[in-house]
Amino acid sequence: MATLGMLDSANLNGGQKLAVKYFTVAIMLFGAQVLFGLLSGLQYLYPDFLYGVLDFSVNRMVHINALVVWLLYGFLGSVYWLLEEESQHEVVGLKLGNLIYWVLTAAVTVVVLVYLFVQIGPGKESSIWLINEGREYIEAPRWADIGIVVSVLVVFYNVAATFSKGRYTGIAGVLVLDMLALFGIYLAGMFYTTNISIDQYWWWWVIHLWVEATWEVMVACIMAYGLMKVLGVSRKIVETWLYIEVALMFGSGILGLGHHYFWIGTPEYWFSIGGFFSALEPIPLVAMVVHAVFDAGARHAKNSNHPAMAWLIAHAFGNFFGAGVWGFMHTLPQINLYTHGTQWSASHGHLAFFGAYATIIIAMFYLGIQRWRGGTWMSGDLPSNGWKWKWALGLLNLGMVGMTVAMLVSGYVQSQIERAIEGSSWMGYFAAQIHPWFVQGMWWREVFGVMFLVGFILLVWDLLTIGKGESRAMVSAEAG
Amino acid sequence: MIEPASLGNFFTIFFTSAMVIMLGALYALLFAFSRLKGDVRLMPLAYISYAGLLISTLFLADAANLLKHPFWTVIVAFMLVGYLLAPHAIWHLCVGTHADEHAEVGPVPLKDF
Repeated sequence: MATLGMLDSANLNGGQKLAVKYFTVAIMLFGAQVLFGLLSGLQYLYPDFLYGVLDFSVNRMVHINALVVWLLYGFLGSVYWLLEEESQHEVVGLKLGNLIYWVLTAAVTVVVLVYLFVQIGPGKESSIWLINEGREYIEAPRWADIGIVVSVLVVFYNVAATFSKGRYTGIAGVLVLDMLALFGIYLAGMFYTTNISIDQYWWWWVIHLWVEATWEVMVACIMAYGLMKVLGVSRKIVETWLYIEVALMFGSGILGLGHHYFWIGTPEYWFSIGGFFSALEPIPLVAMVVHAVFDAGARHAKNSNHPAMAWLIAHAFGNFFGAGVWGFMHTLPQINLYTHGTQWSASHGHLAFFGAYATIIIAMFYLGIQRWRGGTWMSGDLPSNGWKWKWALGLLNLGMVGMTVAMLVSGYVQSQIERAIEGSSWMGYFAAQIHPWFVQGMWWREVFGVMFLVGFILLVWDLLTIGKGESRAMVSAEAG
Repeated sequence: MIEPASLGNFFTIFFTSAMVIMLGALYALLFAFSRLKGDVRLMPLAYISYAGLLISTLFLADAANLLKHPFWTVIVAFMLVGYLLAPHAIWHLCVGTHADEHAEVGPVPLKDF
């Protein structure tokens, strides 16, 4: 029996109870990401700030690792959220899933504490295993790597076993294979080699293929589920489009990996492969526009969750601009030579990660909270006109766009002065770092970062309060 | 294999690259609306957007030294064909995948293609 307007676990199935735990940690890590990002940004402006206490290298590492891990938690939570409904069967091995959740969360906590308390020291075989692996973005020590792989394997078992005992849908098939890839590709970043080119070659498999293939496929599955829930789109349509999207994504995305191989010492043919597939990568995004227009015109669906729907729309735009426009602007090797690794890359990375991933997980948070409160009303006419979710949406998106443009300005200066004029020398690096336009860009990044933080606080406040005491039940949009 | 862009062409490259994607999306948007609403007046605007995309691509190709090498010239051609045909292909897929719903939906002009 649903309890309207109250947070009651009785409103959730077993998988969803576990999903709520994942979502809770995801939001906390999202907050940590924002805070450490602001600290890193401040250290661009005041390099002495917290020097020797909390160095820039540590802040930046925690900022990026928190991003990777909160998105992973968000995705795993989303998978557990839809698992029982999709399979129409209780989650197989739920106790193991719960155990792994606690083990993983404890491991993440220990890893972050080690990052913060062991900031400097000799790099030895033992430090790779216990302290820091030293691979940018995936610095977690080897024991934690193994933990991540084991955790994902358990999720794979939960997903595959549940679908095999329950209903096996199109979403199920794609999800099971994707969970297998999520486990397998991570292994590529787990061995050590003294040749930096070979090391980087495999490292990109994790960074590019984990993020731009397995995560994208998970997003497609979540989107398919979200569209059925929020707009009531029929299963047949979303599953057909899921296959088309996965085909388009893999067609251009897997070998689009080549644009990361331009400058790491790999053979010259990667220029051709990377250039060709990178040029094709935005075409699926353009195709998406046609489908969105068709769907908007072809159906007059009720929307059962306005905040979730708004974040799904933000996802479509964010993905298009962040990954498409900002990516293509500097993907060809003829210009990437100058922009790779500058604030240009950071600008693209911020908007693409936020647009493609953060937005859709936030949409899942809203779907989750709606169910947790017993399927409460979240359409129009919310108390106080739903100002909190609207302001959170506005501030988070405006903050992100502001940061992106600010870094674009800094990156433009950097690519010209540091790379093109000074030839990537140390002198060029410092000349660019003190250039007024670079510094102004960094200031504006910080200002918009604070705006983003305010948006995040509002988002958390809204998630804790939306639907509280609401007596109206949601209007179901689901077509079945 | 590649000839790096010159400093003076940086802005041209960034701007035209962005325009390629933006005009590609505008072309797709106008194309889809024209088909959806059965409004033939929108279709020329769609192809004007595509013409803008074509011009942007040529400026981009020139600024990034793509046309000096046969391989990169082929990539430019692939891009132009891909952007031109993608909305047509996706529209066909849309109509096909929504076929069961058309009886309820009504106004989607299936006869237009």
